[in-house]
Amino acid sequence: MAAVDHDIAHAHDDHHPTGLMRWIGATNHKDIGTMYLWFSFIMFLTGGVMALTIRAELFQPGIQIVNPELFNQLTTMHGLVMVFGAIMPAFVGFANWQIPMMIGAPDMAFARMNNWSFWLLVPAALLLISSFFVPGGAPAGGWTIYPPLSVQMGMGMDMAIFALHIMGAASIMGSINIITTVLNMRAPGMTLMKMPLFVWTWLITAYLLVLAMPVLAGAITMLLTDRNFGTNFFNAAGGGDPVMFQHIFWFFGHPEVYIMILPAFGIVSEIIPTFARKPLFGYSSMVYATASIAILSCIVWAHHMFTAGMPAAGQLFFMYATMLIAVPTGVKVFNWTATMWRGSMTFETPMLFAIGFIFLFTIGGFSGVICAIVPIDIQVQDTYYVIAHFHYVLVSGALFALFGGTYYWLPKWTGHMYDETLGKWHFWLSMFFFNLAFFVQHFLGLAGMPRRVPDYALQFADFNMISSIGAFGFGLTQLLFLYVVLKCIRGGEKAPASPWEGAKTLEWTLPSPAPYHSFETPPVVK
Amino acid sequence: MKEKKAKLDGGKLLQISGAVFWAFFGVRKQSDLELDASTLTPAQVIIGGIVGAALFVGSLMLLVSLVTS
Repeated sequence: MAAVDHDIAHAHDDHHPTGLMRWIGATNHKDIGTMYLWFSFIMFLTGGVMALTIRAELFQPGIQIVNPELFNQLTTMHGLVMVFGAIMPAFVGFANWQIPMMIGAPDMAFARMNNWSFWLLVPAALLLISSFFVPGGAPAGGWTIYPPLSVQMGMGMDMAIFALHIMGAASIMGSINIITTVLNMRAPGMTLMKMPLFVWTWLITAYLLVLAMPVLAGAITMLLTDRNFGTNFFNAAGGGDPVMFQHIFWFFGHPEVYIMILPAFGIVSEIIPTFARKPLFGYSSMVYATASIAILSCIVWAHHMFTAGMPAAGQLFFMYATMLIAVPTGVKVFNWTATMWRGSMTFETPMLFAIGFIFLFTIGGFSGVICAIVPIDIQVQDTYYVIAHFHYVLVSGALFALFGGTYYWLPKWTGHMYDETLGKWHFWLSMFFFNLAFFVQHFLGLAGMPRRVPDYALQFADFNMISSIGAFGFGLTQLLFLYVVLKCIRGGEKAPASPWEGAKTLEWTLPSPAPYHSFETPPVVK
Repeated sequence: MKEKKAKLDGGKLLQISGAVFWAFFGVRKQSDLELDASTLTPAQVIIGGIVGAALFVGSLMLLVSLVTS
């Protein structure tokens, strides 16, 4: 794809600001991308510590480490921090680093707004985390902040609402930036259907974000006025309807799931052709499938609410629609598999994570289809089966793709090759401990263990112990990832412009590390 | 001439419908894709997509009402 008629060496200018102001006033897409990635990693560790505290408490029956009130705060905040603080900003970090380089643009379209989008996240994160220390503690009604619990909580809930508003505004600005950059700043010759799939998935994700985030903003604003200004949108005693909140929340929430997974599809779609040394099978199908997943994601929201009270016709509609969304998702899995078929595959760390992604995401997808079936969902609703399902989608889906993407592009970002042996250790340990932590949760859920409980009946003890050991193993393994990344930043084997022989996209035509200012003169794509 | 134009419009409608259907399915033949890219405008595809989504929702509702009746 990236046949370039351009002498890149003359276009580079490595002059850049230094010191703290380089970061505070950053307008360079690479600097902002780096800040996003470090921010999300810090939030990942923060949310991870919460998860490990939960798993420590659940290691055996009884209340040992945290009281039930704090336990509920931890489950809620773990979800909020991981979704809004870790996964979403991490993908925006990838978008910032990669989209301009992959489409041959010098930077993002609105560089100052890009800075603002990032720096808004910091006070939002501080607000969210500091809610632990105010009277009443952090939000404790689950990450979905359903009323009536969320109407009754202390000021920590207001802080979370404000934090979500700020993060939503940041996401919308980031999305506008990405849409404008992709539609207006592509290099000459790079038509839409020549764009790398990562760029395509982000373009569609950005539209989803612009569609979904204002809906969340509306829901939490109504919650805020119910809490503080005497309105009764969700208060049944005042004529409101708490189930309406669930509908509005999930009208945001289900597209949000795809906001977290579509860019992962994009990363995997870059890695697999590179290490299979074949072009992506069915490129246009992949674009179409991404678009249709995005559209279908807007009409399936009530499958999260089958037990909330709904006519049978509504249950059937959302069941059918949800099962049909598996079709374009299945097309993607088949296309990735077909890309590998008879390819000259090698198994460097990014490829291992990509294959791990396909394998485990497919398990998460299948358990999703199982949950889509109303009679089954009524049984497994609010059990550990659902926890297992969405962790297979979001950890071994989104997070594994993020790890794979990091290893894939680290040589371009840092100018050094990462330690391949340690990278492979990271993959295999993550793979082993992830499954140890979450596969057994399917059994727990099927046996009836409810989610969001600090204590449980004795028959669940063995699987919980296994799950906790797996969770601690998985958490500690991520320190190895941090070590590999830091080691790569500090030095190591010099990376060539294109360390992967099968890589075809534009960023690999730049030297490694990518110069501070790249593609000031746009390349011509043939 | 007028009749010829009407015929062309009908063909175009069919082409848009086909493009949208296969897009929902997530698969498209390369030759058809190239034909779409050269003859359809983005506005036609977007409007076709919106109509397709509405039809999709409508047909699911019809199916549900048949099942529950």
